[in-house]
Amino acid sequence: MRYWSLLFALAAIISVGIFAYAPISPEWWLPAGPNVSAGHLHSVSSAGKQIDSLFVIILLITGIVFIGTQVALVYATYFFVDKGPNGRKASYFHGSQRLEVIWTIIPAAILVFIALYQMGTWASVKFRSAAPKVQPLAQVTARQFQWVIRYPGEDGKLETKDDLFMVNDLHFVKGKQALIYLKSSDVLHSFFLPALRIKQDAVPGLTIPVWFDTDQAGHYELVCAELCGWGHYKMRGNVTVHETQEEFDQWLQSALKEQSRDQVAAVVTGSQGR
Amino acid sequence: MTSRLRFVLIAGSISFLLTGCGDAFNAGTISYKDSEQFTKKQKDTPDLDGKPQLQEAVRKALADLFGPRPQEIKVPAGSGFPEGGRYLANYEKVGDGVQDIVYTEANSGKKVAVVGGYGLYRKYCLHCHGVQGAGDGPTAEFLYPLPRDYRRGVFKFTSTAPSNPKPTRADLKKTITHGLHGTSMPAFEALMSGSEIEQVIDYVIFLSMRGEVERNLISIAALVDKDDINGITADDIKESLDTVVNNWKATETLVVSPKARRTEPTRESVLRGRDIFLGKKFGTGQPVACTDCHGLHAKGDGSSFVERNIFDKVVFRRKSLDTAIEERYKELGDEHKSAQWQPGGHGGGHDSASSELPETFDAYKNRETTNWDKGSKDDWGNPLRAANLNLGVYKGGRRPIDLYWRIAKGINGAKMPAHGNLLPDDQIWDVVNFILALPYEPDLLKDAEQIKKSVTAAPAVTQR
Ligand code: HEC
Ligand code: HEC
Ligand SMILES: [Cu+2]
Repeated sequence: MRYWSLLFALAAIISVGIFAYAPISPEWWLPAGPNVSAGHLHSVSSAGKQIDSLFVIILLITGIVFIGTQVALVYATYFFVDKGPNGRKASYFHGSQRLEVIWTIIPAAILVFIALYQMGTWASVKFRSAAPKVQPLAQVTARQFQWVIRYPGEDGKLETKDDLFMVNDLHFVKGKQALIYLKSSDVLHSFFLPALRIKQDAVPGLTIPVWFDTDQAGHYELVCAELCGWGHYKMRGNVTVHETQEEFDQWLQSALKEQSRDQVAAVVTGSQGR
Repeated sequence: MTSRLRFVLIAGSISFLLTGCGDAFNAGTISYKDSEQFTKKQKDTPDLDGKPQLQEAVRKALADLFGPRPQEIKVPAGSGFPEGGRYLANYEKVGDGVQDIVYTEANSGKKVAVVGGYGLYRKYCLHCHGVQGAGDGPTAEFLYPLPRDYRRGVFKFTSTAPSNPKPTRADLKKTITHGLHGTSMPAFEALMSGSEIEQVIDYVIFLSMRGEVERNLISIAALVDKDDINGITADDIKESLDTVVNNWKATETLVVSPKARRTEPTRESVLRGRDIFLGKKFGTGQPVACTDCHGLHAKGDGSSFVERNIFDKVVFRRKSLDTAIEERYKELGDEHKSAQWQPGGHGGGHDSASSELPETFDAYKNRETTNWDKGSKDDWGNPLRAANLNLGVYKGGRRPIDLYWRIAKGINGAKMPAHGNLLPDDQIWDVVNFILALPYEPDLLKDAEQIKKSVTAAPAVTQR
């Protein structure tokens, strides 16, 4: 029954096909920026580009190993299949030091390579010493089940009287490093910007700096990536990346103006939905 | 199990998994539950206990007006909702059948499928606010404060006056888009579009109307003799409905608009606001009693409410009131005793009598029980405590206009009274400025005891 091996081969071929297809299909690949046509293969943030290249390298290594092992497997099952009473009898042996050394050293070497190779990226994305020396964009406090976002007002300082308070609404400027301080007021949450490949747990009692940037203006998604309770799935935020600093300042000004409103709103005709 | 049967089971469950949630918004039957007033004897509200015929009559009237089931919505004529419950549900009755509702966007002419207020409510709100809006959804038992029971038609955070007015659409929209900070009521801005929020507002108003009409009808029916064959009349029903509908329609005209612009938050204004908060009378203003409820240090621990420690034991640790009071009294006694052994402790450690608390257990228990029953309950009968104003978290919003509304016209159904008749607008703005400054300058109330004494003594001296 050597044809069974062809079935194994088929499974491997389909897997490799999916491998090869994924990068050219926006739906199958990692989440892209708002403007997909601008080359979805690349993440739109500088951290994202580094992380994606690590991802691709690991994908290549595992891909090569996968193909190699599958070829060996199919070859062995095809050619050494039981040939009936006339065939050579398989012999059994216990342990092979040489083989074991080989299959320990090769994966270990690959792991050490990956560990060393990614260190620079990890350091630039996570090490506090790598945090950009910029004025903080906001303080983001996760709570069940929303993101409470506090922007410094005119004075540029957080925790002062002129701060702007928002819920689930994160704004920053294209091409600039945005630095936030992440907190949690109840349980573990995780601040996740999929398109920018930024993910950081929010830990009660800690204030964690997180920084990110992007080269595409538009709307992004912020989600919670740590199961934090029954409403976890609803813990989403809107991210707006402004084209220019002026645009951002304008938004901030109008939001601050609304926050200091002391008169009844001008009559708004609530005609939506009717 | 035969292999055919197994195949049917497997294929069946796979196809269920694939299709099961297709029309999730409207899947399954759910039905309105009767309010407690139908069959249970009530303490302070009318009830229909032991009057099955009248119960049936009220149920029928409600079904005629609002539809028998959440999925079969009717809207009473003249209620302000589009005929046939359009937009409340995503189906519309056409002739004998139903069809999906499509909404054409005014500016783009694009056709959008309407989920409908009911569908949205079921997806986003029902698990807290419950099927009939009684605030009794499955999640509610884990929450403090409890989700709003819409059926009384009372809403806490409104821009309208006088007493227990309906909110405007804008008020409801603000609550739903921004949530109520410091409570579990979430902000829905990121989850729903503007038109969806309008639809869900419609549905909240619909449930609130239904609940209020239910209450009105029960009040009427409670006065009717249980064997009266006429029961409740068509006029009764119409009247019950009309008062409710008219109240909702009048709301936009009841918005309170401050007569003066906000005073600049200068040092003087903030300090004036503090003194008013502590009870000082200025000019044409009357002395106010914020500290009775909010406490001298605005921690939300005023004497009109049960002690914070007891409140926490009852609400968060689910102890009975009596146990909580007993435990607290014992704790106070222990604190008192250990204070005596400290140098300068107020007991002085002289005679054995002073190791007793100044107040007997019975007096203590009496006072705290009264405080709990009278003070620490809101109009819905749920535990209530005054806000801690040092945290900078405001349920109804932090805009000066929001705080103006809270102080000038109070928080409906939640004990916080209206002060618009006691304080002129400029003084309300002083208080607003003080409240907004307090979280950043806790020292403002450091010497609250002395200030309170001097501040409240002053007018007495001048009057003499
Ligand atoms: C996690 C539970 C939860 C969910 C989900 C929820 N609410 Fe609430 N809601 C609350 C709580 C709790 C309060 C009351 C807070 C208080 O009394 O201080 C409230 C209050 C309200 C109020 C009353 C505001 C006032 O002025 O009195 C409205 C209106 C309201 N919710 C509408 C909605 C709508 C519409 C949705 C769905 C789109 C929704 N809620 C979803 C918990 C929830
Ligand atoms: C009879 C008791 C009582 C008095 C008097 C009172 N309050 Fe309150 N206040 C409350 C309660 C109770 C709440 C909390 C309501 C809730 O959480 O639903 C509250 C809440 C508030 C809030 C928070 C509003 C929000 O959006 O969260 C402010 C601000 C406030 N009070 C200010 C004042 C000021 C200023 C005065 C005096 C002018 C005052 N209160 C007098 C009981 C009182
Ligand atoms: Cu979360």
